[in-house]
Amino acid sequence: MVNLVVLSSQTHRNVRIAATLSSSGDAAVNAVSVIPREFARLLAHYPIFFTKSPETGQFEPAALLGFEHHENLFLMDGRWDAAYVPLQIQRQPFSLIPRHGGAEGKEAALDVALDLDSPHIQTQQGERLFLNDGQPSKFLQSITSMLSALVSGSTEAYAFTGRLAELNLIEPVRIDIEFVNGSETKLQGLYWIAAAGLKALPAAQLAELRDREFLEWMYLQMASLAHLSALVARKNRLLSGATAARP
Amino acid sequence: MAPQAESQPVRKILVVGGGTAGWITAGVLASRYPRRGEEGISVTVIESRQQPPIGVGEGTWPTIRATLKQIGVTETDFLRECDASFKQGSHFVKWVDGSDADAYYHPFTLPVGYEERNLAPYWLENPRGQRFAASMCFQTDVCSHALAPKQITTPEFTGLANYAYHLDAGKFGPFLQKHCIDKLGVTHLYDEIVRVESKEDGDISQVVTKSGEVLAADLFIDCSGFSSLLIGKHFGVPFLSKKDVLFIDKAWAVQIPYPTDDAAITSATMATAQSSGWVWDIGLTTRRGVGYVFSSGYMSDEGALQELKNYLSARGDLSRDLSFRKIDINSGYRQEFWTRNCVAVGLSAGFLEPLEASAIVMIELSAKSIANLLPSCRGGMQQAARLFNDTFRYRWERIVDFLKLHYVLSRRTDSRFWIDNRARESIPDSLRDGLEYWRDHCPWHEDFSHREEVFSAASYQYILYGMGFQTYPAPWLLNDRERNLAREKMSEVAQYAKALAASLPGNRDLLSKVRRYGLQKI
Repeated sequence: MVNLVVLSSQTHRNVRIAATLSSSGDAAVNAVSVIPREFARLLAHYPIFFTKSPETGQFEPAALLGFEHHENLFLMDGRWDAAYVPLQIQRQPFSLIPRHGGAEGKEAALDVALDLDSPHIQTQQGERLFLNDGQPSKFLQSITSMLSALVSGSTEAYAFTGRLAELNLIEPVRIDIEFVNGSETKLQGLYWIAAAGLKALPAAQLAELRDREFLEWMYLQMASLAHLSALVARKNRLLSGATAARP
Repeated sequence: MAPQAESQPVRKILVVGGGTAGWITAGVLASRYPRRGEEGISVTVIESRQQPPIGVGEGTWPTIRATLKQIGVTETDFLRECDASFKQGSHFVKWVDGSDADAYYHPFTLPVGYEERNLAPYWLENPRGQRFAASMCFQTDVCSHALAPKQITTPEFTGLANYAYHLDAGKFGPFLQKHCIDKLGVTHLYDEIVRVESKEDGDISQVVTKSGEVLAADLFIDCSGFSSLLIGKHFGVPFLSKKDVLFIDKAWAVQIPYPTDDAAITSATMATAQSSGWVWDIGLTTRRGVGYVFSSGYMSDEGALQELKNYLSARGDLSRDLSFRKIDINSGYRQEFWTRNCVAVGLSAGFLEPLEASAIVMIELSAKSIANLLPSCRGGMQQAARLFNDTFRYRWERIVDFLKLHYVLSRRTDSRFWIDNRARESIPDSLRDGLEYWRDHCPWHEDFSHREEVFSAASYQYILYGMGFQTYPAPWLLNDRERNLAREKMSEVAQYAKALAASLPGNRDLLSKVRRYGLQKI
C-alpha cells in the first residue's frame, strides 16, 4: 500500500533513504512510464513502447522491463542491472501531490510527498534528506529536480503521443514470444510507432513533427525496439539458470 | 418504361427532411459512395427550419456503433456532443405480475454459448435458482451496478460487453448534419417543399421549394417524418395501422434533471409497466428522459399524467417546474416503402411504440439496404424496390410480433389494458404459431427466416424466459454433452461477471473521463 505524506523538514529531519530495491516493492513492475527527455539514455538498455494510462486511456511512452505481471528483469538481488535507471524508478519513494486547499482550476501548487510504507525509508543507513540545520540535502535537491522533470516531461509526453495518435502514427502490436524452456507469452496492451504511416506522412506534417522534436523521439523509440530480443535473452538466461540449478 | 428512362443513371439523391432519419441516411449513403466531383453520387438534404424533433427516439441498438463508424464520426465526439450514455439492454419492471420482485433484463450480449449451441433447454431443466438472463449473461450484473460496458483504455466503438447508446435526439441530428456537410460533401439547404412534380410515367422529377428552387433528382428519400410528404401525401401509399395489436397511442414525456452532478447513470433503459402502458426512463449524461406511453382506449390524458407523476414522486423526482409534453403515437407502417423512385425512411415509413427502441435501428437498416440495393440505372429500381419492400414489410411484422410478445406473456390482471392485450384476436398469427412452437422448442436461428433479423432468437429467449414462459423440450432431444457444456458456461458467466464488476468503471465515471480525455481510436 501507499501511505503518502507531505515531506516536512521538521517531521522527516532524520529520515534516510536506502538505495535498496526489493523485488516486492515499487520497482516490481514489468513496465515503467518514461518521458521523452530520457529516451536517449533509455536507448542504451530498454525497448520503449506506448501503453495506455489506466486512468485516462491516453498513450504514454513506457520502457518494458519484463514479460509477466510484476516481473522486472532488471532487478537483480536488490540492485538495478543497467547503467541508467528510469526516472520513475529513481524518484521512489517520492512523488509530487497537489497542495492541500489549493485553488481549484488554477495550475495547482505541488508538494513533495513521501511514501511512509516504502522499504526505502530507513533511519540508520542511506542518504539523508535534510542537513542538521533543516536545509535540504544535495540528495533531496536532486530528487526535487527529478520530480519536476517528470511533471514537465509527462506534459510533453502527452503532447507527443496525442499528436501521434491524431496522425494515426501509433498502432497496436502483438508480440508472441517463446522462451528457451518452451513456455510462451503474448504481450498485450503494447503499441508502437506505425512505421508505414510515418513513411507515407505528408511533408508538412513531417516538418511539424521535426520542429517539435517529435521526429527525433520517434526514431529513438523505433531504434530502442532492438532491445526486445535482449530482454528475451535476459529472461532466457534466468530460465536456463533456474533449469540448470534443478537436480 | 421507355428505353432512355431505363438507362438513366441513378446519381442524384435528394433526401427530403433532416432529423435523425434524414441525416443517418445521408451519412450512410455519402460515406459509402464518397463524392467524386460530377462523376459520382451526389446527396442533397433539404429540411425545413421549423421542424422540432419528435424527441422520443433516444434509445438505440448495438448496430448504431457500426453505423456511426461507417459514417466516419468518432465515438468521443458523438458521446460528448449528443450527451450520449451507454445502453446495455432493457430492464423490464412489473411486466409479469406487477409484484415488487417482478423485474428482468433483456441484455444486448448474447446468451453464453450462443455461437455454438442452444443452451436454453438446460437452463430450463435446472435454473439453479437464477433468472434466465442472470444465468446466461454476465451483463445483467454490469447493468444492475450501473457500470460502463468498457474501460477508458478500450478503443472507440468496442466494448467488453455489447452496447448501444441513449442519446439526445435533438442534438444527434445537428451533430450528424455538421459531419455530413463538412466531411462527406453532402449538399444542404433549409427550405420548404411547396410542390412535387412528376414525369409522365409517375416518377417524381423534381420538387419546388418555397424560395423558388427547383431540385431534380434520380432518387428521392422521404425522411419528412409524420407528414410523409412524398410517400403519403404525393403517392398516397396507404398506412397500415397496427392499433389492433399494439394498443399504445399516446405518450406524456418529461425531462428530469439529475439531483447532483455525480448521480449514477443507469446502463439500461428502464421500462416500468403501469395500468395502461409503461414508463420509459432513460439516463443521458445531462438529464433523464422519462415518459409514459399509454393507450387512450383505457386511460384519459389526465389519468395518465397522474400515473406518470406518481412514478416520479415515488423516486423523489417530482417537482413543480417540470414541463410535460404530450405526443401522439400512431402505430403502423406503410403498405410499401419504396414506390417508383421514392423510398421512405424513418417516421414517414412507420412508427411503433418505443418499446425495445426499434425506430433508430430501422432507419439504420433502411439506409444500409438503400446503399446496398442502389441500382446503377433507373431500370434496376423496380427490382430494388421489390426486394426492399419485401424485407422491410417482414421486418416491421417481426417487430410488431416481438413487441406484442411482451404483452402477451404478461399475467397482469389489474386492468383491461393488460387482459385485452392477451385476447386471441389481437395476437398476429405468426406470433401465435411461434408461441405454440416454443411450447416444446427453445427459440433458435432457424425459427426466423431472414439472414439479418432485427430481433434474433436470443432476444426471444430473453423475453420468453425472463417472463416465465415454460418450454418443455422432449428428453430425447437433450444430451449430457450439452448439459455439461451448459453447466460450465453458466459458471463462467458467474466468474466473468465478478471479474468485470471489479474492473469496469461506473457509467457516469467513464462518461466523465471520455468528456475529459476522449477515447483512443485503437
